[in-house]
Amino acid sequence: MALIALKEVSKIFGFGEATTLALDEVDLAVQKGEFLAIMGPSGCGKTTLMNLIGLLDRPTHGTYLLDGKNSSHLRPNRQAKLRRDRIGFVFQFYNLLPRLNVLENVALPLAYRGMTPVRRLKRASDMLELVGMRDREYFFPKQLSGGQVQRAAIARALINNPSIIIADEPTGNLDSHDSKVVMELLADLHRSGHTILMVTHNPELTRYASRVIYMRDGTVVEDESTSIGAVAKGALQTYLRKRKTTEEDIIAGVSALMKDVPGKAMARTPQRGRKKKAKRGRARKVKDSVER
Amino acid sequence: MWSGNLKTAIASLRSAKWRSLLTMLGIIIGVSSVITVVSLGEGLKQQVVGQVHGLGSDVLTVRPGKLVSSGSTRQNINLLAFLSTSTLSEQDVSTISKLPSVAVAVPVDFVTNSAAGDGQQLDNVSVLGTGPELYNLLHPKMDSGAFFTEDNLSDNVAVIGSGVATRLFGGLNPIGHTLSILGQDFIVRGAFTPSAGGLISAQQSDLNQTIFLPFIPAKNLVSGRTNILQILVKTNPGTSPDVAAADIRHQLLQNRGGSEDFSVLQQRQLLDLTSNVVNTATGFTTGLAAVALLVGGIGIMDIMLVSVSERTREIGIRKAIGATNRQILSQFLIEGLVLTIGGGFIGILVSLIIFGLLRLYTGLHPVITPMVMILAVAVSITVGLIFSGAPALKAARKHPIDALRG
Repeated sequence: MALIALKEVSKIFGFGEATTLALDEVDLAVQKGEFLAIMGPSGCGKTTLMNLIGLLDRPTHGTYLLDGKNSSHLRPNRQAKLRRDRIGFVFQFYNLLPRLNVLENVALPLAYRGMTPVRRLKRASDMLELVGMRDREYFFPKQLSGGQVQRAAIARALINNPSIIIADEPTGNLDSHDSKVVMELLADLHRSGHTILMVTHNPELTRYASRVIYMRDGTVVEDESTSIGAVAKGALQTYLRKRKTTEEDIIAGVSALMKDVPGKAMARTPQRGRKKKAKRGRARKVKDSVER
Repeated sequence: MWSGNLKTAIASLRSAKWRSLLTMLGIIIGVSSVITVVSLGEGLKQQVVGQVHGLGSDVLTVRPGKLVSSGSTRQNINLLAFLSTSTLSEQDVSTISKLPSVAVAVPVDFVTNSAAGDGQQLDNVSVLGTGPELYNLLHPKMDSGAFFTEDNLSDNVAVIGSGVATRLFGGLNPIGHTLSILGQDFIVRGAFTPSAGGLISAQQSDLNQTIFLPFIPAKNLVSGRTNILQILVKTNPGTSPDVAAADIRHQLLQNRGGSEDFSVLQQRQLLDLTSNVVNTATGFTTGLAAVALLVGGIGIMDIMLVSVSERTREIGIRKAIGATNRQILSQFLIEGLVLTIGGGFIGILVSLIIFGLLRLYTGLHPVITPMVMILAVAVSITVGLIFSGAPALKAARKHPIDALRG
């Protein structure tokens, strides 16, 4: 039995003429222990899908079975309790509470479970040990680097021993070194049997995934099982297509994005020429004034 | 969970110290003014009660105007009676004093409002004509000299209150000085020690601002007209006040051919009357103070609403990691309660300071009863629950996704 099973799940936002179809009859089954990467352009419904699976939202149509139980139309309180006990969230912007220190932040889900302060802080401390943040327990989020905060956020997601970890672009705000640390951590969790759902834009990160799905316009367009360590084939295509910014472009201050748009490249050259001319003109004027 | 919420609430209030303090200020002002007003009223009532008790239970008071009952137990003097000249006469005094159940009857006759002495004019004193027996009824403490006696019945002598003495003669001993009242000179024979402030029930009760003259010269000042504010009657030992009151009523009805335009008050009725007056005044001012409390409560609601919308993202995060609606609700309710209960306690402290100052610099003696304290705390809790309830509910009902977006 699949841990997560979506059957013809649709999500519609707004009503009347402003209706948006965010998910269009999505079918998806995720087994326990999978590391699923979800890719696709902005607005394709990745986050909406994560919100539904994470019980932050309810589908408009279709059924969502979590562990075989229908969870499509739970009441808010039931949803909250399932989120607390079954699901761990890792967000792109970390989302630690700024007024609590790292230890208190990690222990917060246990507080909502009604655990006593001593026990929950002890457990949070153990969890921070696991992510290598024990020595930063009493720091506040703003005193830490992005990678450290994200590790603390992962510790918070793990504290209730959830069956699913949902990571929405967990490395989106991190540099390559911190990204690597965070991804290694997620890979460790995967190896120890956790089910991980990760949204990403970075094809490199599909190396860590056991399965990659690609979404477009609210539907899953491709579903690929990959071997860990290799970039997924579908992702590889986007990878090759990835635009590169050359030195010259940076100097000119024009994004390399423009290059790919047919016709724009032609239009750009004279523009640059004009700029140079203008500069020269100004220089001449300065020269003139000096001579006078 | 509760202790965690309390900690969070205090932390979030501390992070915006000025805002929290200003918000609390509304509650502080409201609570302290309610306590002050209620305690002042209570103090006044006890003072009145003390003075009435001081008269003794064998003293009856006859007042002009009929006692009107409204409802079942509440009684009041017809206030119109105070506006006209008194319906009590000298004849009433003499007939009452001849009754077998009565030991002594003393008139208190209003003469004028102004007196002069040592080149100074006072316009807010009560000049009253009375008999020497008054001394035994009121038992005023004498600072110097003595009350006039049977020997001075027709002498131009005066006994003055401490306030009059200080204002006219400064720190000097007033005995032997001359007072000028309506063009005639009176020699000061005695002065009272300062007493607690005046009563509301009758203007002549503030001994500090009173000048007592013997009845006959007082009457002569206003060419024989009398305006008797009240007749104080002491019953004979062994006679029940009820019997005496009935005798007096019967006699007075006889004097005026059956029309009842007076009232005979026993101690109990006098107490009822005065506490009625005090209660009405206190009730009115408490109402005003309660408006201040209401405004304070609205301030709390305002700030809590700001706080909720400022912390939308925090609410989203808390919900995402498993906080139920009720847990969010209690978090914000506790925050509001910390504000109001904190404000309530500071308000109590402020009112204690106000009491200290009042006792130091005025003659007012506010009395704090445990009831008032409990009331203040209960009111601030209620205000907290009502006015932070709506913002807390708003926070709890936020959709987690919308809240996460901020």
